[in-house]
Amino acid sequence: MLLELKGVQKRFGGVVALRNGDLSVNAGEVHLVMGENGAGKSTMMKIIAGLYQRDGGEMKWRGESVNFANPVEAAKVGIAMVHQESLLAPHLTVAENIFLGREMSNRFGLVDRGAMFDKARRLIEEHRFPLQAEWKVERLSPAGKQLVEICRAIQHGTSLLIFDEPTSSLSEAETHEVFKIVRTLRDRGTGVIYITHRMDELRSVGDRVTILRDGETVHSESMSTLSTSSMIRYMVGREVAALYKREPVTPGAELLRVHNLTSPPSVKDVSLTVRAGEIVGMAGLVGAGRTELCRAIFGLDQPSAGQIWVGGEQVSIGSPRDAVRHGVALIPEDRQKTGLARELPISWNVTLAGVPSKYGVLQHGIEREITAKAIERLRIRCDSGAQKAGRLSGGNQQKVVISKWVSRGAKVFLFDEPTRGIDIGAKVEVFEVMDELARQGAAILMVSSELPELLQVADRILVMRQGRLAGELPGRTTQEEIMRLATLPSSGTELEL
Amino acid sequence: MKTVQRLLPFITLIILVVALSIATPHFLTATNLSSVVRQTAVFNIMALGMTLIIISSGVDLSVGSILAMGGLMGTMAMSKGQPILVGVLVGILTGGLFGLLNGVLITRLNISPFIVTLGTMGIVRGLALVVSNGLPVHEIPKAFSYLGEGTVLGVPFVLLLLVVCAFLVHFLLDHTRLGRYTFAIGSNQDAAIYAGIPVKFHTTAIYAIGGLLTGLAGMIEASRLMTGQPTAGQGYELQAIAAVVIGGGSLRGGEGSVVGTLIGGFIMGLLANGCDLLGINPYWQQVIIGAVIILAVSVDELRKRRAV
Repeated sequence: MLLELKGVQKRFGGVVALRNGDLSVNAGEVHLVMGENGAGKSTMMKIIAGLYQRDGGEMKWRGESVNFANPVEAAKVGIAMVHQESLLAPHLTVAENIFLGREMSNRFGLVDRGAMFDKARRLIEEHRFPLQAEWKVERLSPAGKQLVEICRAIQHGTSLLIFDEPTSSLSEAETHEVFKIVRTLRDRGTGVIYITHRMDELRSVGDRVTILRDGETVHSESMSTLSTSSMIRYMVGREVAALYKREPVTPGAELLRVHNLTSPPSVKDVSLTVRAGEIVGMAGLVGAGRTELCRAIFGLDQPSAGQIWVGGEQVSIGSPRDAVRHGVALIPEDRQKTGLARELPISWNVTLAGVPSKYGVLQHGIEREITAKAIERLRIRCDSGAQKAGRLSGGNQQKVVISKWVSRGAKVFLFDEPTRGIDIGAKVEVFEVMDELARQGAAILMVSSELPELLQVADRILVMRQGRLAGELPGRTTQEEIMRLATLPSSGTELEL
Repeated sequence: MKTVQRLLPFITLIILVVALSIATPHFLTATNLSSVVRQTAVFNIMALGMTLIIISSGVDLSVGSILAMGGLMGTMAMSKGQPILVGVLVGILTGGLFGLLNGVLITRLNISPFIVTLGTMGIVRGLALVVSNGLPVHEIPKAFSYLGEGTVLGVPFVLLLLVVCAFLVHFLLDHTRLGRYTFAIGSNQDAAIYAGIPVKFHTTAIYAIGGLLTGLAGMIEASRLMTGQPTAGQGYELQAIAAVVIGGGSLRGGEGSVVGTLIGGFIMGLLANGCDLLGINPYWQQVIIGAVIILAVSVDELRKRRAV
């Protein structure tokens, strides 16, 4: 046994990211770790690699209890990690990044650039990566950066290597190269932990699998005996909390039609419609292109192909300004960065997309009325409209962001992860607001990674996978169905349209 | 306590006035006070434009150069026989034009205001020297001195100009869409873009307005000196920024007010005047004013941190 975790815990403030993490990895095996977004996989890996320190539980390395204070300590025993997002220094070269923090030095204690570049070159050649040791990392594509991360990990991780979704940004050929590396490493006796969402990858690389759900290890089994369907069941297995269930209304006229929309590199040939009164869910894994689809519809990215109709009319949306003019609203994923002006009063945020004015002069009276109405209608809990928006709780902040579009009279709402970072009570209130909007004739497209939430709110659910629409499911579907569409190749027979 | 802290710049100003009145009998005289007003009017008017720019989360380092260019073009027009009013208008519009240039460069090239205006600071100053061949313009009608030195019923004309400009900028900030968007852009530019606000257009407008005010300040400066100086206004950009910042403006954007800026401007003016009256070495004046800037901003930061 190489590595063993028992009941490992990790909290971030009041949020429990990992409640009860168990994992055991042998030398010479590829161990898959699976789970939904937010199940605690990345947290667990970062604990193993020394990036986080656990709050409780046991971690044993070759039978001895260990505690890594930082990644260098983990690297000393031979553990390294290939990160999902690039953690490289963009202005340095490929070779310098491979040896970053562990530079080779000559006998005078100076950095030995020659030896480092030589070694980097040999490493790149050995795996036939399309890289040069002298290249600056900032010029590389996401895939190229991922390969540098892999080189870095191979160079330092001699006993245990952790791959955190390494292929999400790689091409087919590069993916195969990664698999080959993984198998070579395994055959040399290295332990490999491999996190992935893609079902098609599993069988070809994995020996054993551990499944996490809600910060807990729920199952561990050999890959050869575990069926795909039971794997999905373990991943999503919890009962859907019956907090809220929307009663669908009879849909009215078609308000949004997207036809063959392509927005490189993340959105490929997507077509969909949303009618008045409808809430259409959009499921998919992180990186499936859902946010990018919203961005393209809202004019933040320029699609390379495809058409958009709003309210039956074909429109050309080149900027958010155009989108707003056509009555399209986006409630962005990152509320703090792009949704809310935290330092400004609530009332100014409410009227941000359409401040009442005559000849450019503000109409403060009307603005006060609009704010009062919005606060009442969306039940925004605040002292007054003059309060700074940033002081509100997450849920109330979100309502302020929504109210901006309600006051503007938007007809098509794109909600991107509308409940992120807000508590359960406020979530239900956000759902109620969405329901009310739909009942009053709005068309709503709701992107969410929380499957129970989609099942509660959406009338029908679209699933995206790797930039494409993988299928459509009725509102009364199951998490298993959604996960299957989100992870399986779209050529599968289980596609039910 | 909170109110006291917010009013701190104002209280500082009062304390300065009282202290200087006690310290020297020369302070509270009509001659001295009107001299303070005239001295501060030039960079106070500049600072009004800078207030808009800083609230939008920008900065304009080129105002000193634009001031010189405005004054130069205005006086050159007069020396070529144009009436005074036309000359003044030429000066103001020249300022506006270069402000517009700043705005266009910032929004179209997507370069930070600091860099763009650092560049135009040199460009405009250089152009002013090229156009004038480095020589000041002297052939100016006598009556032009009224702009900087005249009085209306005993009140310096520049004070009236400052009050009018302050009212206009205050109205613009608090009562127009442009003002609202200035705050929105400065507070969270991305959120402003996502809300469909034409951010580039309004950013450009803000710099153009700053330029117009700087052009006016340039004409006042020219009137006070009765020359069009291509080397005028050096270092004024820092004075203007300091006035805004002492008055509660934040270089992070989204914060600032006309009243605050005026108080900040007068604090700086009084400090300089007080040092003169008390016979303090002018070298020490720079040290004192620098320390006041840091003190004012750190007190303001403390207030904000506690408020969160």
